[in-house]
Amino acid sequence: MKFQVQAEILRNRPIAAGYYQIDLRAPQIAAAARPGQFVHVRIPLLEHRVLRRPFSIYDADPATGRLSVIYKVVGEGTDVLSRRQEDTADLLGPLGNGFTPPDDPGVQPVIVAGGYGCAATYLLASPRFSSRRPLCLFGARSREDLLLVEEFQALGCEVRTATDDGSAGRKGFVTELLRELLEAPAACSLKVFACGPNPMLKAVSTLVLARGLDAEISLDHAMCCGVGACFACVVKRKAETPDGWEYVRTCTDGPVFPASSTVWD
Amino acid sequence: MADLAVELAGIRLRNPVVTASGTFGYGKDYLDLVPLERIGAITVKGVSPFPSHGNPTPRTAEVTSGMLNAIGLQNPGIDKFIHGAEYLPFLRTLHTPVFVNIWGRTIDDYVEVARRLEAEKQGIAALEINISCPNIKQGGIAFGTDPKMAAAVVAAVRAVTTLPLITKLSPNVSRIGDFARAAVDAGSDILSLINTIPAMAIDIESWRPKLANVTGGLSGPAIKPVAVRLVHECAKAVKAPIIGMGGITCAADAVEFLLAGATAVGVGTAIFTHPRVLVEIAEGLDAYLERKGLARVTDLIGQVRLD
Repeated sequence: MKFQVQAEILRNRPIAAGYYQIDLRAPQIAAAARPGQFVHVRIPLLEHRVLRRPFSIYDADPATGRLSVIYKVVGEGTDVLSRRQEDTADLLGPLGNGFTPPDDPGVQPVIVAGGYGCAATYLLASPRFSSRRPLCLFGARSREDLLLVEEFQALGCEVRTATDDGSAGRKGFVTELLRELLEAPAACSLKVFACGPNPMLKAVSTLVLARGLDAEISLDHAMCCGVGACFACVVKRKAETPDGWEYVRTCTDGPVFPASSTVWD
Repeated sequence: MADLAVELAGIRLRNPVVTASGTFGYGKDYLDLVPLERIGAITVKGVSPFPSHGNPTPRTAEVTSGMLNAIGLQNPGIDKFIHGAEYLPFLRTLHTPVFVNIWGRTIDDYVEVARRLEAEKQGIAALEINISCPNIKQGGIAFGTDPKMAAAVVAAVRAVTTLPLITKLSPNVSRIGDFARAAVDAGSDILSLINTIPAMAIDIESWRPKLANVTGGLSGPAIKPVAVRLVHECAKAVKAPIIGMGGITCAADAVEFLLAGATAVGVGTAIFTHPRVLVEIAEGLDAYLERKGLARVTDLIGQVRLD
């Protein structure tokens, strides 16, 4: 079930330079949200803009009706949003298919996230959705861009980090941490979930598939309707068509896709 | 409560609000968000004889008070539309008239889709002939910018179906009245206009077009005054009912189109902004009529005062 709600902004504050957490009161969406889904937000006061902006759901608490989103200020919409307090925002959600939380005791979930992509995987690590605590591999440009490490640790997750400049954790890409993990003999019991920039997702897919495993990867795409009607946010998926692929919608067929089905241009 | 019902060539709509093709999928995507029993009609996304990938991405770009799209009429093809559970079989369960938008690369393509739908017409209220899509290389707007070609497509479709025909006109012509007359004379019962306006946006950092297709169709509030003018011109040219559309976001916009000569109004881009707008426009029309002391929405049609 999808809802359109006018949600009160409970709190909207920076959590790191350029990154914000917004908490909204949206009981219906908070109750229905599953890991990896998103909300489509009409930015308040942006009357000359006709499109909503999609944001991954970070946290959702059915008990209090609170829904949280982590966002980075990247353009006009997020800039205006970052300055809204004591206001409401119109939300559509929860949207998208989401991750499949693992419950099999024989499977070790692994989250690979780049930048604030980790926010989209937070509910996946929550005991509400899975009995298994994922091993988290977080990558970022530098220490200041590594977010939510303590929040995932508080859920009981081990978090390993990598930064491009070496200011925290391993120096280099987060995919190096994944490569080492996949080389271990027990790697066949791993189930990888990934969210982050496309080059990272592509590298994760290549590594995982080469090991004979699969991954659930969450793709980011500009969207219009957010509900499957307009076919703006399509990506290529392998299919039995004459071309070997078809365009599928990030908003409803995704945003989470098996790495094995994704076609990278 | 005013009477909001209108009639389009024998098709009774409970109110004048119709979804614009391409913005409402095949009716199912907005089920949780829009009570379909409270809108006038649904126009589904364009169907062709063959499945089509559509255009490469990016397919859309936001601009001030509007957006560009070059989706390229991605669709499952007529076979899947007729037999796939989420397409025609689903649409047949609705209690709202369904208009099926059709397109092709050749006149034979249009005829093929119309012929197939004629054989499956239960649950279809009308066919909308798309001769105005700006985003495909063959077909579409090529037929919509030459009155003889437009008439040829409409006449060919008319010959194979008894369903009411809507012809969707392009704004990208100098004398739209000629196209209105050509379509009606060839057998179109209803006109719908406007389709999007060919347009372009450029990223000033990369110096590249914002759309992979280079150009796309402009929609949204930015085009509304253009659309009102074109609806007015067509209303002067023909007696056939018109579904007026282009940038409608509220009941006041809808009233303008009705005064200009439209019998019903199409809503598209505004659905992306605010899905409930479809119902709110119908409610707002009722409030407007009450304020004006009018009993029927049809009292507005074509009543713009030019004296």
